[in-house]
Amino acid sequence: MPRQTRNDRTAQKACSAGIPDLLPTLAALLWLPQAALLAAAIAAVAVDASLAEIARFAALAAVLGSLRALIVWVGERASFRQAREAVSTLRNAAVLALASRSPLDATRTASGEAASMIAEQAESITPWLARFGPTRLKAVVIPLAIFLTILPLSWAAALVLLIALPVIPVFMALIGWRAQAASKAQLVEVGAMNAFLLDRLRGLATIRGLAAVDRVAERVEQEAQSLRARTMAVLRIAFMTSAVLELFAALGVAMVAVYVGFHLLGALGFGAWGGMLGLGQGMFILLLAPAFFEPMRELSAIWHDKAAGQAAHENLLRLAQEGRRLPDAGQSGPPAAAPVSATGPAVVVRNLDIGRTDHESPLAGGLNFSVNRGEHVALVGPSGVGKTTILSLIAGLATAPRGRIEVFGQELRPDTAMHLRAGMAWIGQNPHIFAGSLAANITLGRSGIGEDAVTRALAALLLDDVARARGNAAIGEGGAGLSGGEALRLALARIAVAPQAALILADEPTAHLDPVTAGEITDSLLELAQGRTLIVATHDPRLAARMDRSIRLAPLEGRAAA
Amino acid sequence: MKRILSDFRPFLGLMRAGTGRELLAGAALAALTGLMGMALLGLSGWFITATALAGLVPATALAFDVFMPSAAIRLFALGRTAARYGERLVTHDAMLGVLALLRGRLFRGWSAPGAARALAMRPARLLFRLTADVDALDTVYLRILVPLGTAIAAALAAGILLAFISPALGLAVFTVLVLAGGAVAGLTARSASPATLRRAARTETLRARVIDLASGQTDLLLAGRIPAQQEALAMLEARLAADDRRLNRIETGAGLAYGLLAAVLPPLVLVATAAFAAGGRIGAPGVAFALLVTMAATEPFAALRRGAVDFARARLAARRTGPVLRQPCPRIERDEPCPGLVAELRHVALRHDAAVAPILRDLSLSVRQGEHIALIGPSGVGKTSLIQCLAGDLSPETGSVRVLPSARLTQRTELFRDSLRDNLRLGAPGASDAKMMAALTQAGLEGIIHALPDGLGTELGDGGQGLSGGQARRLALARLMLRDVPLWLLDEPTEGLDGETARDVLARLRAAAGPRSTITATHIRREAEGADRLLVLGNGGIKATHIRGSPGFEAALDSLRPD
Repeated sequence: MPRQTRNDRTAQKACSAGIPDLLPTLAALLWLPQAALLAAAIAAVAVDASLAEIARFAALAAVLGSLRALIVWVGERASFRQAREAVSTLRNAAVLALASRSPLDATRTASGEAASMIAEQAESITPWLARFGPTRLKAVVIPLAIFLTILPLSWAAALVLLIALPVIPVFMALIGWRAQAASKAQLVEVGAMNAFLLDRLRGLATIRGLAAVDRVAERVEQEAQSLRARTMAVLRIAFMTSAVLELFAALGVAMVAVYVGFHLLGALGFGAWGGMLGLGQGMFILLLAPAFFEPMRELSAIWHDKAAGQAAHENLLRLAQEGRRLPDAGQSGPPAAAPVSATGPAVVVRNLDIGRTDHESPLAGGLNFSVNRGEHVALVGPSGVGKTTILSLIAGLATAPRGRIEVFGQELRPDTAMHLRAGMAWIGQNPHIFAGSLAANITLGRSGIGEDAVTRALAALLLDDVARARGNAAIGEGGAGLSGGEALRLALARIAVAPQAALILADEPTAHLDPVTAGEITDSLLELAQGRTLIVATHDPRLAARMDRSIRLAPLEGRAAA
Repeated sequence: MKRILSDFRPFLGLMRAGTGRELLAGAALAALTGLMGMALLGLSGWFITATALAGLVPATALAFDVFMPSAAIRLFALGRTAARYGERLVTHDAMLGVLALLRGRLFRGWSAPGAARALAMRPARLLFRLTADVDALDTVYLRILVPLGTAIAAALAAGILLAFISPALGLAVFTVLVLAGGAVAGLTARSASPATLRRAARTETLRARVIDLASGQTDLLLAGRIPAQQEALAMLEARLAADDRRLNRIETGAGLAYGLLAAVLPPLVLVATAAFAAGGRIGAPGVAFALLVTMAATEPFAALRRGAVDFARARLAARRTGPVLRQPCPRIERDEPCPGLVAELRHVALRHDAAVAPILRDLSLSVRQGEHIALIGPSGVGKTSLIQCLAGDLSPETGSVRVLPSARLTQRTELFRDSLRDNLRLGAPGASDAKMMAALTQAGLEGIIHALPDGLGTELGDGGQGLSGGQARRLALARLMLRDVPLWLLDEPTEGLDGETARDVLARLRAAAGPRSTITATHIRREAEGADRLLVLGNGGIKATHIRGSPGFEAALDSLRPD
């Protein structure tokens, strides 16, 4: 279970004590001498000591306090830096996994969900990693240290705190459990509310089309109001548990104050090991009492961070988990650039088994065919027979369970896939439009593609009107405002500017298009493919008819076509 | 300052109008919590010191009234807990109330024609931004206003309490707290602002890049650009990390400043009051009281740092949502066409905001009552834009549009996470179950609905999940049929349905239309076959018109996709 161990490791890192994690505890411990100095100063005032002596105590206390603030500052900075680095590592690992997963992997996380995990959710990991460990350490050490400091002075005052002490772990657990439930419930509710709003906003055209804007707006408000009521019901309990903790803390302080007061007055003579406390000691105990409870309150306040951080952390790890990967994923070193032979067939497929996953029994087995240089070939057959899978295997987007593929005389292997891909171009049925300008969508950042090449490609694919309309404005978001035909022409323009791509693989390029547009796309595709090898997977008989020949794929024996 | 106020004005107005009283009460309770804490500490300090002094002499020890102060200490301890509990309840409840109102108002704002189109153009980014903005506005009250009020109240209370010892001391402590505390918060907000805004923009870019990597992976792979994309993402992440580190430096810097204030101010007050004690104006108990009150007064300032760092993001959210909140949902008002017509368009030019070139340049069209029209032409020619214009989603740039109320069936089936009943009622709020069942029967869904255990009460998932494509389309049709308007606008009504289902749906649609007019945008033959008139769009207007029965009509039908 690699995931489990990795999860444990980061979680351990969150809770184990590194040097920066110790600093907040160290700073909190400095409160002990600082409080002693302040108490001594008060005691000095009471015995009419010289102002200089009092000022010395006060100055020392100020110095210690400043030192404390500095240590907290250093600790916070260091913990944050470490935590933020861990988040960077997690994000980069998730991105790497996204980049090296095979496009054929059916278990891929939807892109929107992946984006939300990597972008927003990951943000909640930093506060958890940075603060939870140090705060927990403080919550263990500080009450104990204060108890041990007070005990030799007054067992009675220590006892008052001790009464609260066994109660606190119980409440800690309660709060942990409750706060977690509450924050989870609240997160779910808020998420549901946002989803509700998004759901309605996505259907805005329909809502407007049915003149239902006001009614839906009222529903949105009602829904948000009922969310408010449900959230408050959960929060009331969560706040109640932390109020009980607060109550114990406040009563603890009050009882200590009252006890010390009565003791100093002589009304309660017991509690100081047979002796009497002085004003300085009494004041010292009073100053320590709130600090006894403080770390616990802090810890309960960041419990929410923990729930959100852990959930986000698990999501990122899941995203980075192994799935079906690209053949050349994890290849290091320069790709093998064995000589690509100048003659012979463009693509040779031998004894190829194909499957959508690595383990599933193959969709088709023992495929053999070859495509000559410059030849235009259609792959036809019923849907589900594996046409897209064959194209993907030729493009090196997944590994075949069995068989051999040669492209331009060179075997497709993990170490050659990247090199061979450089000589190919792909066009799918729903080309992705990248966030960026039209021109950037054509060059895709490839070097050596000049402005004139882009202009020529735009003109050749009848995109110049669109280019004029769009200018440099960003498109993207699934090609907002681009029609299906325009998106395909854009994908063709990407091929037009890449003359080195001698093999064009087209996956159902005319599906979802009206006949006029489909005809135009077919013309453009054939024009682009002049002098290049073209393999088209298609259902469209008109497109198939314009190829040099068709390879008909039959479903595997004994298996019905899906 | 003025600009800040004007940025926040719409949201603050909403807060006041929504749960203003609760919000004030919450802030007051927060301040009360702080004051109780201060009183608890101050009184305890005074009590211990006073009892210690009294305890030295048996006579005064007996005379010392221990019960008032000790009772007050317990009262403050309990009161503080109660006030804190109340504060948390009231502030959260009030804020949730404001957010409920905000969501409703934002929805109305986004429903305005222009905003709705912007949303349709770039949905994911805008929707993400919208939720992020709502979250950011959440901080205005809970992280900025309440802590600010609490801190000021604490400073004021400390100032007043210390003024009993010496007015000058009280004034000095109040001034130092408010000036230093305020300056740190202000400087923090100002210096964090650029990084906060950059960070918000970069997070959006990170989202877009990850989507590009995941959805455009094949294109990037074949173009050999995966390493570059990965590198770009790593660089972006490094920049985000730098922003985060910078913000953390600023925030912890503020923490350090408040920490130093809390370390230095109480000892200073101690020395000052000790000087008064030496002068005999107060005793040691007064010194202890002043010390502890000052310590308590510095505490709430530490809570300002988070809000100060988030301030710029909240302001950005306020600025972005402001225009939407300011104006009530504007509508495109439409005049009625001449009697006998349902729509009358004269020399209409249509243009989307982002586009430089108009979609339609000059289009004139009259639709008679009961007439069925099909709009044909290649993708991108302006069929959907014309439908949008008729539906009031798009104002003509020039020319006039006069149209009767219409109902629109969008290209993509849009159903909602809700019960079947509420999905249907969207078009007809008062519709009875019987009427809805009749519409479902007309749409050919009655069998399926009867088979569902919850019938009309069946809940659908996001976007109507739980129904097949054909069922969803039929449900959308039933919803349309419930809407009693003279014109139906149908955008590719049977796209994605198999031939048999599509023909059935079309027949039912025609039967249900009765005397209504329909305008159908289509590229499938079956959808255009039943039309009285085929309008071929092209060249920014109507390229050709074919009346049913004319030779061009059949030819035009033949140019369409067979099935």
